[in-house]
Amino acid sequence: MSDIRDEQDAHEFRAEALSLWRITFGPLIWALHFVCSYGATALVCAKAGAEAVPVLRMGIGIGTLLALALIFWFGLQAWRQWDLRRDREWENDAGTGEDRHQFLGHAGFLLAAISFIGVVYVALPALFIGTCA
Amino acid sequence: MRLIPSVTLLRSTALLTGLSLLSACEGRQSVLNPAGRDAQDVLGLIWVMFGGAALLWFLLGAIFAYVTRVEPREMPRRWGEALIIGGGVIFPVILLGALLAYSLPMMAPQRAAEEGLKVHITAEQWWWRVAYELPDGRRIVSANELRLPVGRRTGLVLNAHKVIHAFWVPALGGKVDMIPGRETYLSFQPEEPGVYRGQCAEFCGASHALMAFETVVMTPEDYAAWLEAEAADAQKPASAEAYRGAEVFAREGCGACHTVRGTSAAGQVGPDLTHVGSRKSLGAGILQMTQDDLSRFVAHTEAIKPEVAMPSYDHLTLKDLRALAAYLKGLT
Amino acid sequence: MTRPRTLPTAEGPYPPTEEMLNAPVSEAEQKRGGEELRAAWKTPEGWRYVTAVNNSEVGKWYCLTALAFMLIAGVLALLMRVQLAYPDMTFLDADRFNQFFTMHGSAMMFLFAVPMFEAISILILPAFLGARDMPFPRLSAYGYWCFLIGGCFVLGSLLFDAGPKAGWFMYPPLATKEEGVGPDIWLLGLSFIEVASIAAAVELIVGALKCRPPGMRVNIMPLYAWYVLVVGGMILFAFPPLIAGDFLFELERSFDWPFFDPTRGGDPILWQHLFWIFGHPEVYIVFLPSIAIAAMIVPTVAQRPIVGYSWIVLSAVGTGFLSFGLWVHHMFTTGLPQISLGFFSAASEAVVIPTGIQIFAFVATLMVGRVKLTLPMLWIAGALAIFVAGGLTGVMLAIVPFNWQVHDTYFIVAHLHYTLFGGMVFPVIAGVYYFYPFFAKKLLSERLGLWAFWLIFSGFNITFLPMHLTGLMGMPRRVFTYPESSGWGWLNLISTLGAFIVAAGFAVFLFDLLRPKKAQGQIPRNPWGAGTLEFSHDVPEEAWGARSVPYVTSRYPLWDQPKLLARMDAGRYYLPDAPEHQRETIVTSVIDAKPVHVQRVTGPAWITILAAIFTGGAFIFPTFHIYTPAIICAAFAIVCIMYWLWTSTARPPKDDMRDAGLGLRLPTYASGPQSVGWWGMWITMLGDATAFASVVFGFFFYWTARPDFPPEGAAHPAGLWVAVAALAAVAAWALTVAARESNARGQVTLARIALLLAPLAAGAAGVAAWAAVRDLDPTSHVYPAILWALMVWLVVHLGAGVLMQGYCLAGSVFGKMTPRHDAELRNVTLYWHFMAVKALVTTAVLGLAPGWLT
Repeated sequence: MSDIRDEQDAHEFRAEALSLWRITFGPLIWALHFVCSYGATALVCAKAGAEAVPVLRMGIGIGTLLALALIFWFGLQAWRQWDLRRDREWENDAGTGEDRHQFLGHAGFLLAAISFIGVVYVALPALFIGTCA
Repeated sequence: MRLIPSVTLLRSTALLTGLSLLSACEGRQSVLNPAGRDAQDVLGLIWVMFGGAALLWFLLGAIFAYVTRVEPREMPRRWGEALIIGGGVIFPVILLGALLAYSLPMMAPQRAAEEGLKVHITAEQWWWRVAYELPDGRRIVSANELRLPVGRRTGLVLNAHKVIHAFWVPALGGKVDMIPGRETYLSFQPEEPGVYRGQCAEFCGASHALMAFETVVMTPEDYAAWLEAEAADAQKPASAEAYRGAEVFAREGCGACHTVRGTSAAGQVGPDLTHVGSRKSLGAGILQMTQDDLSRFVAHTEAIKPEVAMPSYDHLTLKDLRALAAYLKGLT
Repeated sequence: MTRPRTLPTAEGPYPPTEEMLNAPVSEAEQKRGGEELRAAWKTPEGWRYVTAVNNSEVGKWYCLTALAFMLIAGVLALLMRVQLAYPDMTFLDADRFNQFFTMHGSAMMFLFAVPMFEAISILILPAFLGARDMPFPRLSAYGYWCFLIGGCFVLGSLLFDAGPKAGWFMYPPLATKEEGVGPDIWLLGLSFIEVASIAAAVELIVGALKCRPPGMRVNIMPLYAWYVLVVGGMILFAFPPLIAGDFLFELERSFDWPFFDPTRGGDPILWQHLFWIFGHPEVYIVFLPSIAIAAMIVPTVAQRPIVGYSWIVLSAVGTGFLSFGLWVHHMFTTGLPQISLGFFSAASEAVVIPTGIQIFAFVATLMVGRVKLTLPMLWIAGALAIFVAGGLTGVMLAIVPFNWQVHDTYFIVAHLHYTLFGGMVFPVIAGVYYFYPFFAKKLLSERLGLWAFWLIFSGFNITFLPMHLTGLMGMPRRVFTYPESSGWGWLNLISTLGAFIVAAGFAVFLFDLLRPKKAQGQIPRNPWGAGTLEFSHDVPEEAWGARSVPYVTSRYPLWDQPKLLARMDAGRYYLPDAPEHQRETIVTSVIDAKPVHVQRVTGPAWITILAAIFTGGAFIFPTFHIYTPAIICAAFAIVCIMYWLWTSTARPPKDDMRDAGLGLRLPTYASGPQSVGWWGMWITMLGDATAFASVVFGFFFYWTARPDFPPEGAAHPAGLWVAVAALAAVAAWALTVAARESNARGQVTLARIALLLAPLAAGAAGVAAWAAVRDLDPTSHVYPAILWALMVWLVVHLGAGVLMQGYCLAGSVFGKMTPRHDAELRNVTLYWHFMAVKALVTTAVLGLAPGWLT
């Protein structure tokens, strides 16, 4: 019989006060990338004029690569936490610390994937459109 | 004798008789009957997207019907996961990416700079102030009608006076908002001569539904001739009735709000009337340019167009009204 | 003085072993617990019934009120359809038509769609979680009464022909210049309801995070709870920008501060940004909880656990985020730079992916399971058919050149009704059929249900399918009439006929819902064979929520824990009694749902109704530009809320610990992050900070959008006063922190002195902020106006902070707050952390930005 004060779970699967937040890191980077791209475009188009547009597009390109790298890194961590390759477990539906740990990894990985796609999409306009008009 | 018909009846009969004449040419305000390059491009996009959407809808419906009705038995869990990954991720990512890559480059040409003329249009509640800017910088002022040459890209510089409106001629291309304190830009490249209806698309108050205009697309030669005529001063009244109408116009102080170039009327509040008689419609695209409709509109402006700034001149005698209408009709 | 003992923590065995759970509970024990609980949770009777605050009562009222508002808005739609049936109809004049379409949209969004989510969640979320009630029942009751008063006020304006008529989006300058009280009614009436919405969101988030049953870790939460978390979070970030916009808008209407007036440097586009930053996430705020209902029904129908639980969580969280990157797709025609439009076009396509995953997860579950088509499932199937069509037109609308053509036409009307009927109305009706046995303890008729479904489904498609074509043929939205020559007549006539078929369907549904069902007898407890906790409810009804709060180890405890029901009923699990006849619920940890403490839950009260009435007065009187009674009402509202907090929250308990059952002893008082109040404050402050950020965004928006911001030669705030304001605000924060620390160390006198000085410092900060902008004329230009607005925002928040400090001081003096029982002081300190940041940002904008910008 275990006591409520035992912190066994927390030792085995890390104290995860932060892990619920961690699954939002991917989307947060997407949001940051989005806001920066939009804000920079608004500023450049309102204050700097047409000649700065190539610089803007270059900047968005670099920002995109940076965001993708970060998301990839978070995604990789989440993938390891999900630990699919070891136990082939997709659902993680047991009320145990291990399943909770892997579930958060799974959700974090999927969110990283969707954020990755989102960042690529949001960068497309800078690729295809070269004017402030 | 005065005209005292019921207000609502009057409006509906005026609208009915006036516009039923135009009903011969349905589809003049339709995205599906393009007469300009931009509208044609968008229509192509529409057919692609509608075809794809219909296909997808039936496909998903078929899958749904299959798993619930045809084969409601249990299927392996792996299939379910494959469906989520294939149908929910891989397929849409590719499809939507392709759609974006196809459509994003379509934007810039639709807002391309003009090749010749530039037209300044300011939206008022509820009519359009129009000024043609010639290459030499001269401006020809008109109202409630737009004329464009075929085959050439014309720029439209848009603005609004008090509230937000939107400028839209479906047959020629997409719409752009007209915003007080901001200048917005749109350009059209008409391909087919003809008369197309445009309408305000952003809700702008009581008579939003009654704020339209005709767009006349002309061959370059006709257009040059028309522009020259439009630049000229107003014609003198040609008949005794029209002459009397000019007197009524002056007596009633119409010139305080309206301009008729070549006369003392130089008001800036309402639409320019210098060539009002040559326009295809009256009251911003809601009535016919006939003597009947002109006299009705002047006598019952507020009933026909709710909350409009112009007062109803229902105190005029029928004779004065008809004379005024004859004068205005003669301003071609 | 010595440092006082800290609060105790939970002790005893956990998790419970099978052996412990198998131990029988004696008859006498069962009887005693049941009677105590029944006494504690007794619903007030007779005319006192309105004082009830229990989630089951408030939830029912909330649902019925929202339904009634929906029906009124629906009648408005029918009247509009009559006007549009033929060209040149004169059934409604322009003015009335414009009032009707404005009210139809506003009511459907603010009085039906969002409140309905809150109503349903208040009604059923505690049951999903095996909880006794929501964490703050009086707050839900207060929110409900605010909603009722505000909704009646806004809708009632139509009876006096005084309704708003500038569209539900209230674009300035049309709306700011409109004469009469219409726009004020819209702004103040709906702001009032928005505040209630945020209150509900706070409560729902805390409910889903902290009130889960022991053992229900985040990976086995019912999907509905995940959606509630996501949607609550979205409300928190989406509504505040609108509240900030309302704030600026009403300042312009009442005091002529020209935020949206281009002749004095303002810009109407700022409103559009603020409105749609709210408006687009709002669509998903409406859609996600409804799809959450589908996520509960589908596994029951398939009799299998949901396939792709993680995928659905991904989809909910992902949609929540992406939905904030879509707002400009309502503004594609405003002439923004094309690259900017492109970003929003791309993000609007990206959001399709999580939404699609969600739908495919449902299909996959049905595929894997053994499907038994029931009436709720029929409605879900209808929802999917309609929603997918709406989603596909949404994909098209995100394409900018297409959007330029069809924006503001009937194509949009068709699209949005397809998404809202498919994404909200149908799933909610499915939910009504599915959960009716749970909340009414009766069943709805299968036959009438089929009639209602086919009438509404076919009527809906007859109404809205032709509208796609109407729009493509050029018919703009919001027109009260159209000429015959347009060729739109026959399409509109078909739409009108369809609208009446929909109405007939709703009549059947309503009849079935409201007809007396006395003859029906007792229904089975779990008629659909569902696997989640709500169907562990008691038939016939008991007000206690759960006889004992279970220990949960599965996503579908009713399927996987066979002895669960018997053990719950016997009171084998936690909190099986109420020895002090107090309402209690169990509070658990956020991730793993370990029991943390026992929370005392508030009971029936008049004070919430009074507080709502006075709050209503404070919002309604300014509509008519009557300010003295408004201020008096606001003061009374504050007094009521203070009284309610003082008398019923965070009172030091008699005993430190309580036997919670199964050998577990739990503390009865919690402070700081352990307590639900602290979480409520933290979440509220996030929303408040978002509103503040929106006002600051306004400042920088003017700078990018307007060349004359700040205007040349403009007067700037007085630097010295700005500096004083910053220092004084920081001092007030530091004193509050010092009070918390010294109080916790047992130095009560020191804490009281700090709490006495802190309001003085805060007051000084407010006065200095006012002095800094005093010489600027806010009606002259938008630059001084936005500086004034920032000052007003700061001063109001300082005022609230002062009240809180005073409350803590009083608590300390009168023994409500002790060194050990310091929940209030911790919550107030949290408020002041945010306050300090806000004060520093405000003073930086006031004092430094003019220097950087010019």
